[in-house]
Amino acid sequence: MPTLTVDQVDARILKGGSCRSQEVVDAGFAAGDSVIALNINPATHTRLPRYIRGKRGTVAFDHGVFVFPDTLAERQGEQPQHCYSVCFTFQELWGPQASAIDCLYIDMFESYIEHIEGAQP
Amino acid sequence: MNGAHDLGGMHGLGPVNPYPEEPLFHEEWERRIFAMYVATLFVGIYAIDELRKNIEVMHPTHYLDSTYYEHWAYCVEKSLIDRDVISEAQVLERMNQLAGEAA
Amino acid sequence: MSRHGHNHSPSPSQLSLRVKALESLLVEKGYFESAALDRIVETFEHKVGPRNGAKVIAKAWVDPAYKQRLLADSTAAIAELGYSGAQGEDMVVVENTPTVHNLVVCTLCSCYPWPTLGLPPTWYKMPPFRSRAVIDPRGLLKDEFDLEIAANVQLRVWDSNAELRYLVMPMRPAGTEGYSEEQLAELVTRDSMIGVGLALAATA
Repeated sequence: MPTLTVDQVDARILKGGSCRSQEVVDAGFAAGDSVIALNINPATHTRLPRYIRGKRGTVAFDHGVFVFPDTLAERQGEQPQHCYSVCFTFQELWGPQASAIDCLYIDMFESYIEHIEGAQP
Repeated sequence: MNGAHDLGGMHGLGPVNPYPEEPLFHEEWERRIFAMYVATLFVGIYAIDELRKNIEVMHPTHYLDSTYYEHWAYCVEKSLIDRDVISEAQVLERMNQLAGEAA
Repeated sequence: MSRHGHNHSPSPSQLSLRVKALESLLVEKGYFESAALDRIVETFEHKVGPRNGAKVIAKAWVDPAYKQRLLADSTAAIAELGYSGAQGEDMVVVENTPTVHNLVVCTLCSCYPWPTLGLPPTWYKMPPFRSRAVIDPRGLLKDEFDLEIAANVQLRVWDSNAELRYLVMPMRPAGTEGYSEEQLAELVTRDSMIGVGLALAATA
């Protein structure tokens, strides 16, 4: 591993390190799809928070293909996959007392969501 | 993992108190660990997800009771040890050495 | 492991010594030079900050074609002004309108768009903000930031849990028709780009 020297720092900061993947991967979901977040409880790393698990939402847009943090954190490969902005209503997340108009957007990897059977896209 | 870091929707954590503004860094060691977090990613020792994972394994009482840069100090050290870049013994030995030089 | 098995914080002096030991070991092993760390600190403590984001927003307010590009491909449009890289590799700009207010949070850690906003304020990283922003954002904004969102305005909360970084485009304040881009940028606060505030009112 080459040493990071002071003269390399500015360029390195500007370059960053995108987690976007160049691999071509099919998208299983599209904007407007009704989805449900999986109810998973891994003892390992995940970016699927508890308050989203088991909740129903709608795909807002597709961010493209990204490496998968759940496996990368465990040093088990990149598993590149689509990542989607998914919209959940506050009432779905927090019940009928919650705001009827507010919503939460969160980024869901392909592995975190399933189609809701019988739902019309 | 279902750790203390997964905070969305939790109650009772107190006020945010956003003002007055705090400085970006309170102590010199915070500057150093911030830069090491960034530099170790730049040289490619590990993925950022390994650092995040190693914050999440902090004991919940420690996680909730410590500052953000303490989380970073914890996860950088643990991730370096996981990657066999350094060992716990080396860290302790170097701490003793540095403390001796300062005394 | 003496520290990693513990539930509580080491003393500040122990922590400082521990961090010094890490730096000393990593420099010795040739991963970086200490001057590289100095440069990283200098950049993020003094050079990069919310003035960058403010220039992006002000430009979008005066230049409809830029605004269109900014909303369609935020990363590329922000890079046009020279802001890109670490923790801003993949950007999404979300627009406030008379009927929509956006708020950004990272419930799992402290993800934040560094090239446009710099490093996050302490409160953004701490549990009280991260926990409440997704379950009671209206109460949070009112109680802590003195910002009341009208009942007929939809609040959209963005939990930046993956590698996308979000920047809010606040609404252009009324009465700024004659303002230059530079004058407008002065009205764009950091808080307005997180969504915990609005752009400042016109001064004249």
